[in-house]
Amino acid sequence: MFAKLIILIARAWQYGPSLILPPTCRFMPSCSAYTIEAVTRYGAVKGGWLGIRRICRCHPWGASGYDPVP
Amino acid sequence: MDNQRNLILAIVLSAIVLFGWTALADRFFPVAKPAVTKIQGGKEQVLPQPGVASGPAAIRNRAIVLKEAPRVTIDTPKLVGSINLKGARIDDLMLKAYKETVAKNSPPIRLLSPNGSPDAYYAGFGWTGNGIDAPGPNSVWTADAAALTPTKPVTLSWKNNRGQTFQTVIAVDTDYMFTVTQKLANGGTAPVSARPYGLISRYGASKDAWSYSNRIGAMHKVDDEKIAFTEYKEVGESGVTGIRFGSKGTWLGFGDKYWLTALVPDAKATIEAGFLSPQTNVYQAVESGAATIVAPGATAMTTQRFFAGAKEVAILNAYQDKFAIDQFSRTIDWGWFEIIERPIFWVLDWLFKFVGNFGVAIILLTFIVRGLMFPIAQKQFRSMASMRAVQPKMKELQERHKDDKPRLQQEMLKLYQEEKVNPLAGCLPTFLQIPVFYALYKVLMITIEMRHQPFILWIRDLSAPDPLHILNLFGLLNFTPPAFLGIGVLALLLGISMWLQFRLNPQAGMDPAQAQIMGLMPWIMMFIMAPFAAGLLVYWITSNLLTIAQQMFLYSRHPGIKAAAAATAGPAKK
Repeated sequence: MFAKLIILIARAWQYGPSLILPPTCRFMPSCSAYTIEAVTRYGAVKGGWLGIRRICRCHPWGASGYDPVP
Repeated sequence: MDNQRNLILAIVLSAIVLFGWTALADRFFPVAKPAVTKIQGGKEQVLPQPGVASGPAAIRNRAIVLKEAPRVTIDTPKLVGSINLKGARIDDLMLKAYKETVAKNSPPIRLLSPNGSPDAYYAGFGWTGNGIDAPGPNSVWTADAAALTPTKPVTLSWKNNRGQTFQTVIAVDTDYMFTVTQKLANGGTAPVSARPYGLISRYGASKDAWSYSNRIGAMHKVDDEKIAFTEYKEVGESGVTGIRFGSKGTWLGFGDKYWLTALVPDAKATIEAGFLSPQTNVYQAVESGAATIVAPGATAMTTQRFFAGAKEVAILNAYQDKFAIDQFSRTIDWGWFEIIERPIFWVLDWLFKFVGNFGVAIILLTFIVRGLMFPIAQKQFRSMASMRAVQPKMKELQERHKDDKPRLQQEMLKLYQEEKVNPLAGCLPTFLQIPVFYALYKVLMITIEMRHQPFILWIRDLSAPDPLHILNLFGLLNFTPPAFLGIGVLALLLGISMWLQFRLNPQAGMDPAQAQIMGLMPWIMMFIMAPFAAGLLVYWITSNLLTIAQQMFLYSRHPGIKAAAAATAGPAKK
């Protein structure tokens, strides 16, 4: 239930604002794709936590590049 | 073929954004109030504002109504008006500091008006009780002075035939707070029981529209230290039964976008209060204290406050602290982002006191915000500079995977990671700016400090949209274009500056459809932003110009970046 909600939010982001904004992702896969995969594999709690951690890693001083769901 | 499909997609998406936005926006992001001026025949004319027009014809002229009863004048640095001795009501009040329109000869804002005049709006205080002959709306009181000033309170008295004397002492400060002390002296032979009450009554809902981001209506403090807003419509539907609440420390009142009237009962008294609508289009806020039994020879006394004035941030904050009126500063609907809006307002207000022009203050605010963001841009440029080092390897990758785009992107990201470079900053820099922008939007919309504040030339109110329209040749043609086509000079400058900024900033890895949408963005934003407050556009234009300047400065510091950036953008453009 909660997992579906998180996936819905991520999807809404992908098909909404993300489509219009210029591409800025430092990571591959993008945070939304990462979160969707994490939630599908680990459930809402752990997957959601992984997603939040990933979003927090994405800033100009952070890491970048290929960073798949563990 | 593929390109054509992308173009169509881009246009359709833009259309959805443009029209979908206008449909949603009215509810969630109301644009600035109507323009205060109109450019016609090359001249700027002041437009009448809502609320200035007179009410139903059956209602008598305000000046005549004011002469029908004896009155005590009110004269303070900020207020002028009078107290009606018939019914002991405060029902005539103008705000000296605020004018109805931006015209030089405009009359001041009229907040309160007597019953029987257009847009009647008044406050009254009294007693109710069983077996007690209390003064009513037609009782004529006597006053001990002809005028109420901040230094001299006025005492109103009324006596019934059974020995009870009623006194109401009204004091006022130099801002907008009245202190009303009611006394009931029982000179009779039997004890009497009575309850003090306060009432605000207004004819007609606010002329300012309710929206989720600017709630306008009845408001009161809820038990759990929270403020509640109730739409006028909802108060109207509640009828005579009304919406009831009550507890210690509550207060209640009616708001417009900029004005407020509020009853603040004694914080220690238990209060019964509510909003009701006894007749169509009449809205009332009532509160009454507990019944007190007054023995013969004794006197009951109760003190409450009445606010009537403009919702100036500093004044509301001061009252909230001074009189311990919890939540009072939230009568300005800051909303969820209060924590960002208040500092933005504070900075703007401080800059305004410093430079004396709100437009200049907004420009300075933009400098501060861009200045804080500068390290991020610098970091981004530094990593773009280091991109040059990996240029040869990248070329090699592009050659190898030229037919497999996803694979190329993956390989490129891997390369960035190995070499610890990345031309992209992530979406954080964009997101950091959104709250600031939204906060400025709200501050321009809700705070009275921004009302009727001029910038330069034809911008006479930064909280209203740009009055110049390109479609009617800046007012030379005699028609007003529809709102969604009402592009002014500021909107055009916004579009151009945004277009320039995008051009100077080549985006890596954009696919053609997205590149096309990005190409249209400046012009879509031009239409979307046109009806918003001029101050908001001033902020955005300045921000774009500063970004362009920053871009040019950083390019000159790191020569050769342009080539590198163009190279990363290269493969995607194929």
